[in-house]
Amino acid sequence: MRAYRALLRKDLLLELRGRELVPAMVVFVVGALVLVRLGLGGERLAGGTRAATGLLWVVVVFTSMLALVRSFAQEREHGIWDGLLSAPADRSAIWAARASATFLFLGVTQAVALPLFWLFFLQDGRSPSLAVLAAALALADLGVAMLGALLAGLVSNVRAREVLLPVLFLPFALPLVSVAVRMTVDSIPPQNGGLGALHGLGFLALYDTIFALLGWALFEYVVED
Amino acid sequence: MSSPERAPAVRCDGLTRRYGERVALDAVSLTVAPGERLLLTGGNGAGKTTLLRVLATVLRPHAGEVAIDGHVLPRDARKVRPAIGYVGHEPLVYPALTARENLELYAALYGVGRERIEQVLELAGLNGRGADPAGELSRGLRQRLGLARAMLHSPSLLLLDEPTTGLDEDGRERLRGVLAAHRGAAVIATHEPDWFAGLEHGRLRLAAGKAA
Repeated sequence: MRAYRALLRKDLLLELRGRELVPAMVVFVVGALVLVRLGLGGERLAGGTRAATGLLWVVVVFTSMLALVRSFAQEREHGIWDGLLSAPADRSAIWAARASATFLFLGVTQAVALPLFWLFFLQDGRSPSLAVLAAALALADLGVAMLGALLAGLVSNVRAREVLLPVLFLPFALPLVSVAVRMTVDSIPPQNGGLGALHGLGFLALYDTIFALLGWALFEYVVED
Repeated sequence: MSSPERAPAVRCDGLTRRYGERVALDAVSLTVAPGERLLLTGGNGAGKTTLLRVLATVLRPHAGEVAIDGHVLPRDARKVRPAIGYVGHEPLVYPALTARENLELYAALYGVGRERIEQVLELAGLNGRGADPAGELSRGLRQRLGLARAMLHSPSLLLLDEPTTGLDEDGRERLRGVLAAHRGAAVIATHEPDWFAGLEHGRLRLAAGKAA
């Protein structure tokens, strides 16, 4: 636990000092939402609120890619992997700290994106349940962060990692996103989600549990050369 | 070997390691007794760094057997990591963190108390520079920080890759002092074997991945 805390502190300090990731993610998410808004020429999206909600998830996924491709960048660029890997601490603490940091960065980004999304696309009184959307985002972010940290470790020593990571990540993230979109869209009135939302949250929690176990068990081996 | 106490600090038997098709280490065998210091020499690309990285449990051997203190790698890697102090080509520190923050991180990874941090800063001649970002230290001071990091947990086996690189006279004297005081074993890759005169117990020359 001490190793995990120290590694997470390190990841947060590096972001605080370098400001490499979160500002880029915020600029990307704001830029994407503004572009879509301008692209529509001020008109509502053709599919209304449902399409706008789906769009939000597309933006969330692509924003998370920004965080993931920079995972372990410092370790790679400064040869620090050897220091971390030769230490006696459980290597899964490296994965857990990285996933936690990514989860926090995604949370900060979405705290900026959501009000903007509301302002741009959800002004006609029909919007998804805020509770369902927040719960889905939290669970989806957790899944993205844990899966992403595992895959980022896997490709960390591969030359074409910036290309390979999205290629590996997107198929694994597909079930997560499709369920999150479905449950959020189904919470838009006149539908109320209800049981469907609970099922969706259950699926997201199961997905998170699976990747928590996989990350914890496999990270030791995926980073070994 | 009759007991782990009597096992060699390092034993490699037919160690082979490849990078893709290229053979970096080709059936290398060596033994380092407890308390012995072995110099690894050889030209660039001879396999010195690869050998040290295998011993540091960072790389897996592809063939042959490697054991540290009687523990076979990679099976027993977790058991031997607390005993190893590794100084790589790079100092293995985060440039944006201060020297002290880097050492705090590694102290947590090695389960070492914070009080040890001031001791190793002093040992490396970095007292007064603990609050400086590692990236703003000179090459030589970063090398000292790498040495301080490796000594944090008082390892019984030191693995040093070109430890004199970038060090000024004071830094070299401190390194000499550290090695002279070190009671455990050491494997040191160097292009300056003569500088280690009096500190070494043996040499192994590598050429194209083979013990020459």
